[in-house]
Amino acid sequence: MKIGIPRALLYYYYFPFWKAFFEALDMEVVVSEETNKGILNKGIKESVSEICVPIKLYIGHAIQLLNKEIDYIFVPRMVSIQSGEYFCPKFMGLPDMLRHGVKGLEGKIITCQIKSDSDDISAPENYYPMAEVLGVTKEQIQVAASVAREQWIGFRMFNKSGFTAVEAMKMIQTNDSLEVLLNNQQSSKPVLRIGLIGYVYNIYDPFLNMNIIEKLRELNVDFITFDMLEEAQLQEKIKDMEKTLFWTFSNKLLGAGLRLFHEPTIDGIIHLTAFGCGPDSFMGKLFEFESDQTGVPFMSIRVDEHTGENHLQTRIEAFVDMLKRKKFIA
Amino acid sequence: MKISFPYMGTVIIYKKVLELLGHDVLVAPRPSQKTLDLGVKHSPEFACFPFKTIMGTYIEACEMGADTLITSGGHGPCRAGFYGEIHKRVLKALGHKFDFIVFDSYARDKEKFIRNIKKIKGNNSWLKVIKAIRFTYQMLKEIDRFDKWIAKNRAYEQITGSVNQAWDEIQKMFDLAHTKKELKEAIINSEKLISAIPLKEVQERNKVRIGIVGEIYVVMEASINMEIEKILGELGCEVERSHYLSDWVDHNMLPSFLKRSHEEEILKKGEPFIEIEIGGHAKQTVGHIVDFKERGFDGIIHLMPFGCLPELISQSVIPKMSAQYEIPVFTLSLDEQTGQANNKTRIEAFIDLIKNKKLSNHQFSA
Repeated sequence: MKIGIPRALLYYYYFPFWKAFFEALDMEVVVSEETNKGILNKGIKESVSEICVPIKLYIGHAIQLLNKEIDYIFVPRMVSIQSGEYFCPKFMGLPDMLRHGVKGLEGKIITCQIKSDSDDISAPENYYPMAEVLGVTKEQIQVAASVAREQWIGFRMFNKSGFTAVEAMKMIQTNDSLEVLLNNQQSSKPVLRIGLIGYVYNIYDPFLNMNIIEKLRELNVDFITFDMLEEAQLQEKIKDMEKTLFWTFSNKLLGAGLRLFHEPTIDGIIHLTAFGCGPDSFMGKLFEFESDQTGVPFMSIRVDEHTGENHLQTRIEAFVDMLKRKKFIA
Repeated sequence: MKISFPYMGTVIIYKKVLELLGHDVLVAPRPSQKTLDLGVKHSPEFACFPFKTIMGTYIEACEMGADTLITSGGHGPCRAGFYGEIHKRVLKALGHKFDFIVFDSYARDKEKFIRNIKKIKGNNSWLKVIKAIRFTYQMLKEIDRFDKWIAKNRAYEQITGSVNQAWDEIQKMFDLAHTKKELKEAIINSEKLISAIPLKEVQERNKVRIGIVGEIYVVMEASINMEIEKILGELGCEVERSHYLSDWVDHNMLPSFLKRSHEEEILKKGEPFIEIEIGGHAKQTVGHIVDFKERGFDGIIHLMPFGCLPELISQSVIPKMSAQYEIPVFTLSLDEQTGQANNKTRIEAFIDLIKNKKLSNHQFSA
């Protein structure tokens, strides 16, 4: 059986898990191509106009998978990975949206509800509802889930030691970490270190964010993202808040952001968000308050489906110039 | 202590319960252009429309001297539950001093719920609190009954404006009622008032019934949904909303063993399209569409604030529902843009389509 996985949304956090899981069940895993203009346009065409661009891309990727002779597209219903917290409603309704809102996808979607009390989503109960469609037994699912868990933990370990999720995925897949390490070596010592705050699907999709990571590296700027921090570090600043956000990944970003605002080695913070992102509209405001209090420079960059990249280049250069002046002249 | 609250729907209800407990109540002005301007200026750009309106209302209330703000919290993944936290921070940054009381659902945080109740209770005895709540609840049920009658019969008034005028008077009468006896009188007088309104006789097959579904704030608060019920009434349509305050209280405030089953039924009807509750009122929205269709409505207007997270999911599944149940649905996304001509034209066109469809159906069957 061939299972398609769209290269979008939580692909950048859970793909190593899902890949290993389905492969352990003797399925073939097909991933959609890297995001391109065609995928984006397909997504825009099939989705409601107001929805955020990451969702449009997800739909585009799902449609693209239809050309790849897959049997099913795996669209998990992400409900909660932390007790008392949820995912953004768009994640919780994702299978409904694809099934009922996109032509040609009904009958092609395989889904299950992911409920867990930590990032580790390997509890086999989550996947039992798929057993019948996949034609496997519960025992097989248990084994597959534990194999997948190993893979995912390895991936997260590389990720947390300072590699981007994309690099970490390569390292775990090729077992050749040395090559990535060598490629990653910067020619000279970075002049600045910034916090790059944003969801994995915004930060790691080079088409969506016009390759912001490469742009920063070219300017010799080192960066840290939320997924490079340990869970305890993320929780430190938010555990005393009276009411935290309801969305797990938003909370992780908030925890990461608030922490980085207080870290002396960090010169500035960039918040990368998507047009119309609901959770970010509130989180951005919290960062603005924090920036006012700490005096650490803060910029938010909002991406959407338009693809002119000059404005981004200019804004990042200006921000970096300003940080340099602040650091070296003052 | 001067208490104020967000402006949504029939505000005399919130005012009443607080007054009965002896509080000094300040009703903020009905949301106006000024409210929106203030709200938009001090809100995050991409915050949803209800957030901005309520922001404006709070600022107006604080400027008028309110020192305590009461609001409901939220449950689950919709942004509304977090409104309070951001509102509080923005108001503090603006230099206002106030006490902020947020009621979350009883099940979420029992201790806080009781603490909040105690704040409202003040020095009153529990008996008085229960009496006040029971009285207001009764009143709420009654007023929602009249509200429904008004929305249904506005289309058939013989004298233009007579129904709206009656509605204003009914609200005034209820506002003045403070005892059981006065409430009874208000009900009797209101009944008299509406039965005296001359109505047109319209044949059953010529009646057009429109259901309004969507996010609760834009559905309930007329001042920010262009008074859509009046617009539809003027176009000759009977209207019913998916949200009435009494339903909301039944579903959210009562402990689960006292819950009425109506809302649960609606949720069941939405299940084939949105499997689980994804926050806000998305599942209710799709459930109500099915419900309205089953009750013989001719069309649905789906209202949502721009960028509303849960309603975007319902909007995504609506085209398919519309085809499957053969009911026209028109989604209207509202924001601080207040030019109305555009939306009014679209509503008119939608209603024309429905009327034409009805008409041609009759001709074919005749």
